[in-house]
Amino acid sequence: MSGQRERRGVENLEILLVEDDAGDALLVEELLDGAGSGLEPVWTTTVAEAERRITARTLCILLDLNLPDSEGLEGLRKALQMAGRIPVIVLTGRVDRTLGELAVAEGAQDYLVKGTVSGEELVRAVRYAVERRKGQETARRLAEAELLAAEKARLERGLLPRPIISNPALSWSTRYRPGGGRALLGGDFFDGIELDDGCVRVLMGDVTGHGPDEAALGVALRVAWRCLVLAGAPPEAVLSGLQKVLGAERHSEDVFATVCDITLTADLSRAVVRLGGHPAPLLLRSGRVEADTVIQRGPLLGLVDDAAWPATTVALGDDWGLMLFTDGLVEGRTPDGQRLDVAGLMDLTSEAVGRGVGLGSLADELIASAERANGGPLLDDVALFLLGSGSRW
Amino acid sequence: MELGLQVDDSRSPFTVLSVKGEVDVYSAPRLREKLVELVSEGHRQIVADLEGVDFLDSTGLGVLVGGLKRLRSHDGDLTLVCTQPRILKVFEITGLTTVFRISGSIDEATSAS
Repeated sequence: MSGQRERRGVENLEILLVEDDAGDALLVEELLDGAGSGLEPVWTTTVAEAERRITARTLCILLDLNLPDSEGLEGLRKALQMAGRIPVIVLTGRVDRTLGELAVAEGAQDYLVKGTVSGEELVRAVRYAVERRKGQETARRLAEAELLAAEKARLERGLLPRPIISNPALSWSTRYRPGGGRALLGGDFFDGIELDDGCVRVLMGDVTGHGPDEAALGVALRVAWRCLVLAGAPPEAVLSGLQKVLGAERHSEDVFATVCDITLTADLSRAVVRLGGHPAPLLLRSGRVEADTVIQRGPLLGLVDDAAWPATTVALGDDWGLMLFTDGLVEGRTPDGQRLDVAGLMDLTSEAVGRGVGLGSLADELIASAERANGGPLLDDVALFLLGSGSRW
Repeated sequence: MELGLQVDDSRSPFTVLSVKGEVDVYSAPRLREKLVELVSEGHRQIVADLEGVDFLDSTGLGVLVGGLKRLRSHDGDLTLVCTQPRILKVFEITGLTTVFRISGSIDEATSAS
């Protein structure tokens, strides 16, 4: 709407005049006309009526401060509220200069004293008001974006820590991309810790839903997982512990979480996988992609009180890669209007690995391919945790 | 795509809620509102017909499970009608096949006691 207004220039645009005195209104109309501005005056006598007359062509509002339905600064506040991004210039009588200054302090762009302004001055005041309002809007958006970025950075630190893995034989890489091309987080989270005995514990999870509450819950679950693991909780007890934390911390009964919990043995030859409603990780052996269908599944966290999450041991060999991901990656579309799905992700991964793409850049390659197929940014968040061992990586 | 929700209460004691389109993070709140509304109006045996659903993400699943929990706490139930392999796969991955009663047709869902 405002873009259209800007492109049209000043011609055919309207000045919404809110003035209950017919004589004063006529005066303003004549001033605008005489200045040859091309601005069309639209006369209304109350703020309520003015609100109904705002259109995409409304460039500026000229507001008399002595109206029957809205007198003085109270009226101005009402008018500013309904005006939104449209600038408001206040008209005052000769004796009300102080009121004019107060009005500017309150948010009006300018004040004009009736009977002292030429047509040219009026048009110039309107143009300046429009430019100033635009500047204010830009500054406001910038401040909003900065706040959002700070909030996002804070949550991101909580959701997506740097894994603590030091085994030089194990390569790894993580990636997170917020959904919808917007700087808003969902509840994807991951973690990775190498324990004193050399085992490596890996987590990928996703809180259902989208937004700051979900992100905060994701942080709680991620930290809870890290605490349980560092405190030496046996792997089979970790998911039920997480489920308890979820039950205690969630803001609504409709919120659940999916998790994929993996324990790599110290010699990196086997992975013990536990799935709580989460997609199974992709397994790459000797550069070939396999979706391991033999991995047993347990339910989403938060679903069944006495749930159990069966463990599946996967023999990895000495040249392997594991890819943990959240469903945002496979829910994007393909050019034929279908969803990418795990099968599509497997194809993309095979293709990239076939080209010799390494672990460090595979995540970016896959996100880029999924976005290309989708024809734009993916709607949901995407998190990836890639691990690999062997000369290939 | 728009989420279509249609209620048919001609199969008493069952209430059939037909869901059409995509149930995702953006449209799921409307499904939640509809389920909450039905429960508060006293509907207890709800059959959610998902045959017209093109896509169901984890937020949508959360809403269905929330509806199920709400109904069971009122001695009711939420039965799903779904035969599409892609949607069934979502229930399978998330372990929901053991939680929901999933029927092959509305007739089947509404003939069971």
